[in-house]
Amino acid sequence: MNDVCVRLAGVSKKYPHFQLENISLELPVGSILGFIGANGAGKSTTIRILMGLVHQDKGSVEVLGHAMPSGQVAAKQEIGFVSEDMRLYGAATLAWHMAFIESIYPAWNQPYAEVLLRRFDLKPQQKIKGLSHGQRVKAALLLALARQPRLLILDEPTTGLDPVARREVLAELIAVLADEERTILFSSHNTLDVEQISDRIAFIDRGRIIAFDDKEALLDRWRRLRLVLPPRGALPQLPGIVEVGGSDRLPVLTTSQFDARVVSLCQDRGATVQAVDPMTLEEIFVANVQSRRELQPA
Amino acid sequence: MNYAMVRRLILKDWYLNRWIIIASVPAGIGALAIVLIGKPIAFMLCIILLCMIIIGVGAQLAMVTTINERKDQTLAFVMSLPVSWREYTAAKILANLILFLIPWLALTAGALGVLLLPGATHGLVPYTAIMSVEMLITTSLIVVAGIITESQAWTTAGIFCSSLGLNVLGYVFAHLRGISRFMWGNEVHWTPTAWTVLLAELLMVPLLLGLTFFIQSRKTDFL
Repeated sequence: MNDVCVRLAGVSKKYPHFQLENISLELPVGSILGFIGANGAGKSTTIRILMGLVHQDKGSVEVLGHAMPSGQVAAKQEIGFVSEDMRLYGAATLAWHMAFIESIYPAWNQPYAEVLLRRFDLKPQQKIKGLSHGQRVKAALLLALARQPRLLILDEPTTGLDPVARREVLAELIAVLADEERTILFSSHNTLDVEQISDRIAFIDRGRIIAFDDKEALLDRWRRLRLVLPPRGALPQLPGIVEVGGSDRLPVLTTSQFDARVVSLCQDRGATVQAVDPMTLEEIFVANVQSRRELQPA
Repeated sequence: MNYAMVRRLILKDWYLNRWIIIASVPAGIGALAIVLIGKPIAFMLCIILLCMIIIGVGAQLAMVTTINERKDQTLAFVMSLPVSWREYTAAKILANLILFLIPWLALTAGALGVLLLPGATHGLVPYTAIMSVEMLITTSLIVVAGIITESQAWTTAGIFCSSLGLNVLGYVFAHLRGISRFMWGNEVHWTPTAWTVLLAELLMVPLLLGLTFFIQSRKTDFL
């Protein structure tokens, strides 16, 4: 678990209307990173840099021990990539795609591919153009999984799927997680999906990584505190406050640095702690993005 | 260069475009057969149909294999495979060239064969060979435009310009003294002018394709 699968150090990329700034991430082998950002935040650009399809202006990228983009051919031999905007050839059948991928990847696992065909209810003789969006995503996922990659990069794979297809895709991904040697990078703006499967979380906004942490640690650190202040009582100064809501008497504080001391600190200042609410990943993401945007308007 | 991967990508393009290639050969042979009617109008019709088929196949191939790959978002699928941009470019150029050469060779050989039949105007052989190679250049130009710009608008402009260029050059070559003097005769005359034009044309093909490699090697973003 100590080996690093993906390493980005100080990666920058400038476009006329968008800039990816100083992205640094390290992903140990076997970890599952949920990469969360709003549309246009820089998720896909970061992933394209990881795949060697876009050259970074600055910084270094290493994937499975290969420097990118120069080592992209060797790296991609061990990467399975599925992207929301990736399509298969409409005029060809799924069976043709399977044979095509099998001819490229020696590790192709045909029995597993057949299991996935049944599980996803896909017909190999069906042409891709006759498949629904959900079936196309599942077909792409089958092609990525059956090659048994060491690194699986999924760029918004669940976007646009109906609830049943989404559940099937997520269930298969959860099954894939049993392989402790496989590293997964799962990008999405759907925090619910990410929360289910990830063990690490990175938030990206406006081309910058604004949080990168262990999922449990992140969920533990963020809390919403409902306080009752005494008449004319001042709001206690607490560490990591990112949002203050509610009223003067009944403030609701959102903190990114919660621990047991925070409660005692409130009580010491005369405030009554009515409730300490855990936050969902979505609430944490939104609070984090909003507080950063208030500090650094576009 | 991973030649095995390049070969797989060429075979992929063959599989996806095989019907248009296969269909173009009998269509071209049918066009050639019209000339056997023996009337001047049949000869003109044959030439027009042959040009349409050859240029049409080249343009269609370039559009499907380069522009549609980006438009249909299959480029992300191909580029997720263990392939470099250099290998992808090589595969695209070779696939287009090889697939186009199938109908081109068959129909050029057929056209030259028809001109060598007893009673045909044998003097047209050098001019026909020159114009056939000109069509190969036209297709190369469209492929180059498709690969480099990845834009439907620019490739359509390339098709328009190269078709116009084909007509203009056809007119110019037909009026070169070294070619026009023997063009309507009954004997084949390979004059130095005809050879010079043909060799210059043949050199244009690798030059265009080399230029594509050079420009592609300077790109940094592929999706």
